[in-house]
Amino acid sequence: MIEMNNTLFKPIAAKPYLWPFDGKWSATDTALLLLGFQEATVAVLDANAELSVANSLLKVASAAGVTIVAARRGYGPDEHPLATRRRLLGDPIPERGSADWALIAQIGLPPGAIIVDCAGDNAFFGTRLEETLRQRGIRNLLVTGLPTDGLVHATQRAANDMGFECLAIADACKGTSQARHDAQLRITTFGNGLFGTVATSADIHAALSSL
Amino acid sequence: MSAAEHQDFWPLGGPVDKARIALIIIDMQVDFCAPGGWIDQLGEDVSNTRAVIGPICEAVDAARAAGITVIHTREGHVGDLSDLNANKQWRTRVHGLGIGDSGKNGRILVHGEPGWQIIPELAPLPGELVINKPGKSSFHRTELAAELENRGISRLVVAGVTSDCCVQSTVRDGYEHGIECVLLEDCTAAVESPNHAATLEILKAYGGRWGGVSNRVAFREMLDRAGD
Repeated sequence: MIEMNNTLFKPIAAKPYLWPFDGKWSATDTALLLLGFQEATVAVLDANAELSVANSLLKVASAAGVTIVAARRGYGPDEHPLATRRRLLGDPIPERGSADWALIAQIGLPPGAIIVDCAGDNAFFGTRLEETLRQRGIRNLLVTGLPTDGLVHATQRAANDMGFECLAIADACKGTSQARHDAQLRITTFGNGLFGTVATSADIHAALSSL
Repeated sequence: MSAAEHQDFWPLGGPVDKARIALIIIDMQVDFCAPGGWIDQLGEDVSNTRAVIGPICEAVDAARAAGITVIHTREGHVGDLSDLNANKQWRTRVHGLGIGDSGKNGRILVHGEPGWQIIPELAPLPGELVINKPGKSSFHRTELAAELENRGISRLVVAGVTSDCCVQSTVRDGYEHGIECVLLEDCTAAVESPNHAATLEILKAYGGRWGGVSNRVAFREMLDRAGD
């Protein structure tokens, strides 16, 4: 019997290098991050197209056995200072448990998906995400989410400092403006990928179906 | 400058006691911004990062005169590179001279080597806090958050290099820690100007979602008006 989960996927022709750096990724050492696909965020950013792309990746990655992580941004009783600061600047961080805060209905998480609740823009900060990923032997991260210049980039920067090998999926992310989206992805890749790499969903689909 | 403009140094206003404010100078090291350092050896242009040495010196002078905490960071790794992520080393070695390799100023970004030192113009004074950091963020695997908490510091004025890399990571992480950050835009730079401009635009958007953006003149005036 073949253990499919350990089978290596084909490396991805990402910018600025063939991802992952050592050429090795499989369902057992990879997670797909779905960051901030919440009711209010999708609506405010008008991100239905990006949501659809992420959802399609979710189905394929989940079927291949890749770990799925969803992060929800919101505030609870312990996060008032951070949330208060942002709300004063006009950024309505939703309250946990509210309709705005909920993961959008179209996202159907598989059983066993990891759900992370963060107050700021970094899904690792104040959560157990890093140790959860390490316990599972995960070292490669496929990153999708909203907004590119918020939750996505802050989380990828933190992941990169932790040594995770990251790939941002450009068409599964949307920024607070096209210019900021483009700029953060360019900053991701400069210096031969200082914060990792960038590719498109078609590249991921091709690799996941290459088995 | 009017009182109203003074308030604008901090995105959500002041006044703030000097005891709660620190100036942090990020990675003004030989390897990043001096002739013969790593970036220079790679053939990259260090004129952008060198151009802010003078302005940063003025900001440091103002901070020292006001008696606020001054913090310096150095990116680097221990000699056996056990704190260096495999992908970080691999990415830099593609350039032909990677972290840990031997160059004109010793091993690149390794503790104790000449290239790892802070440039002489901005050398820390005795008693100033120096943070050694293995990552881009000054908060990642360092004692910075604990040091700030122990000293009762809740506001961080940020300068140094590079704006798109370690500076942006530090401001974003400061926000996560509940530290109010303001970046001095005339005291930071990047090798690639479009990335520098984009970083500032992103940080300024929405009134400063992760912190504010100001300059060294406003910094000095804010200190002049701050209480002890």
